[in-house]
Amino acid sequence: MPDEETLEEGTLTPLQPEIQDPLLREILEENDLQADPSRNPLEQPAPLPDPTDEVDCVVIGTGAGGAPLLARLAQAGLRVVALEAGPRRDPKHDYATDEKAQNFLFWNDERLSAGQNPVAFGKNNSGTGVGGSTLHYTAYTPRAHRGDLTLHTDFGQGVDWPFQIDELALYYEEIEHFLGISGPTPYPWDPTRRKGYPLAPLPLNGAAQLMERACGKLGIRTSPAANAALSARYYQEGIGWREACTNRGFCQAGCNRGAKASMDVTFLPLAESYGAEIRADAYVTEIERDASGRITGVVYEQHGRTVRQRCRNLFLCAGAVETPRLLMLNELALSSGQVGKHFMAHPGMQVWGTFPEDIRPYKGIPGGLISEDTHRPKDADFAGGYLLQSIGVMPVTFATQMVRQRKLWGQPLRDYMRNYNHIAGINILGDCMPHASNFMELSEEKDARGLPKPRLHFTAQENEQRMNRHAEKLMRQIWAEAGATDIWAFERYAHVIGTARMGRSGDDAVVDPDGKAFDVPNLYICDNSVFPSALSVNPALTIMALSLRTADKFLLQRKAAG
Amino acid sequence: MPHYPEGTVRALLETDLVTPATRAALEARLAPQPNYEPQFFDADTYQLLRAVAARVLPQPDREIPIELAPNVDKRLLAGLADGWRYDAMPPDREAYRLGLGGINQAAQAGFQQPFVALSAGQQDVVIGQLAAAEAPGQNWQEVPQDKFFEEMLAELTESYYAHPLAQEEIGYVGMADVPGWTHIGLNELEPREPEANG
Repeated sequence: MPDEETLEEGTLTPLQPEIQDPLLREILEENDLQADPSRNPLEQPAPLPDPTDEVDCVVIGTGAGGAPLLARLAQAGLRVVALEAGPRRDPKHDYATDEKAQNFLFWNDERLSAGQNPVAFGKNNSGTGVGGSTLHYTAYTPRAHRGDLTLHTDFGQGVDWPFQIDELALYYEEIEHFLGISGPTPYPWDPTRRKGYPLAPLPLNGAAQLMERACGKLGIRTSPAANAALSARYYQEGIGWREACTNRGFCQAGCNRGAKASMDVTFLPLAESYGAEIRADAYVTEIERDASGRITGVVYEQHGRTVRQRCRNLFLCAGAVETPRLLMLNELALSSGQVGKHFMAHPGMQVWGTFPEDIRPYKGIPGGLISEDTHRPKDADFAGGYLLQSIGVMPVTFATQMVRQRKLWGQPLRDYMRNYNHIAGINILGDCMPHASNFMELSEEKDARGLPKPRLHFTAQENEQRMNRHAEKLMRQIWAEAGATDIWAFERYAHVIGTARMGRSGDDAVVDPDGKAFDVPNLYICDNSVFPSALSVNPALTIMALSLRTADKFLLQRKAAG
Repeated sequence: MPHYPEGTVRALLETDLVTPATRAALEARLAPQPNYEPQFFDADTYQLLRAVAARVLPQPDREIPIELAPNVDKRLLAGLADGWRYDAMPPDREAYRLGLGGINQAAQAGFQQPFVALSAGQQDVVIGQLAAAEAPGQNWQEVPQDKFFEEMLAELTESYYAHPLAQEEIGYVGMADVPGWTHIGLNELEPREPEANG
């Protein structure tokens, strides 16, 4: 949690920005040199990138927002460079099947969480490394529904997206086939799709079977879910054969098989095969402009060096916290007053129970079963809706969130955890309305780099609270029907959305419907920050679709300009 | 509640059912840390944290308990974060300093002795007050005790259940995932998954 703060006298810390003791300073310097010889002026092997070298596009971030467009732009023959704040790792050798050892996948710089429902970051709502948060997404890839983009038209609440679902449908189809999504065909809640999923659904684990059984009795339709993990070997351009999922159940802490379609085994190798360059450990600090307001390049820190990369266009794809943070720090694209505003997070309430059956919740794709019968519930007293899913869980994640909710300690904590193999959960993923009181700002507190930490305010509003009540009641009913005892609910909020919204006018939006900033002629933003509303589905697939669409809109405009 | 046989994870670590990266992570944690010297906390505060941890996760069944305090000490020394902090909380180092001090204040108020000098039953009374956000002590003016308790409880719990012996205790063998799992449905076990003794 702390990465920078005032220390008591006499306490040493490697992160203290200014070391007073000259001897210690010398030792630290030497250690740094040993760790990174490039910092030693006498051993300077690689020349700095030529500051006059100007590339067509720089892309900041290599997650679901940055990776697909990086590939698209490279395929179009442009010179593109991606800057990723985190490292590049080899999942096959570097990833351990151990939750704590995998902590490097998360953006662990401290964010301050305020409001009545402070949002947890780190494990669930952030990512770092080549591939971004797709390195630890659950791989759940439902499509958004038509009505998710027209909330204001349908309910008089929230906002409409500036285009219809048809704009995304073809991209959904393309991505599903490129990534090799495993899912049901036809899709029960959208049976008229042009193309089905390329692979059959993954097998159901214990939690999925329990949910299927209980929902069947209650008249709730279920189906094996769409997941971006391969149910069979799959050939993919740019990388070759990817092997099938082995039911490790470890998606949320990193797939070491390449079976899960994270960006590092899909769009990024495709981009590199077309000449894109990906620079890891490159933390962007500055976005430079000329007198006319055009972006001319970015400055980043890499291995202790400061590097400038000139570019003709910038694509900011750093996620709904770091994207607005970079805009605020650089006083960029702020004229609408919308940067940082309308921060949203999906209601993700979970319900857990203990069963007589042996479940072993560490096996199988975590989100095995879905129901979207609750997308527009008939008895709803709220706008929008939610999906239901079964969930698998790893022990450390389960134990820590369980104690945060139940506050068990002492012998009761150890006794309850002995039931781990008999515990199963279900949860929802619900829409979230944009609200003025939910926003991100820069705090007074500085991080280890001397930059202000972001502070995020989130309070579930009346609509989210009503949805939670509806969902909790239904999930408790399902779990009771499935035979659970000791049922408990955990109110939580997942995914960070909004903060640089897309819209038709620069008066109330940061980017236009093509993802282009209203204020800056050569800045595009593509990640979950541009979502005008949260959607009632997990965001990754839609971010990827937006990413390809943003690239295509850019390429069209470029062509038109000659 | 289920009880699983001892030695399951340790036996699996010796096999090819565990990848080298997984084995390295778990064996490092399994290695005992005798006489750990605190580097962030002073000696008294460290002993206080140990005493609190021993009530939050009591281990009367273990000859050598899993030590949880060293991980907190190392993390605070390194200044590592887990990605977020309640805005209502001071920075972690300060929070631990104030929170542990508050536990001593509550012990003094209730039993006129520091926490480490109390009986296990008395210590549980103090922790119970903290868990209910009803502990006396002036430090709680500066750090909200419900949030402090939640954060400390989550950190100690994470350390405990990340330990291979605690994973044996709950019958978790997910680390032995080579070459994957084929029996994943209800009541379907593979030979390497231990059955509970009852």
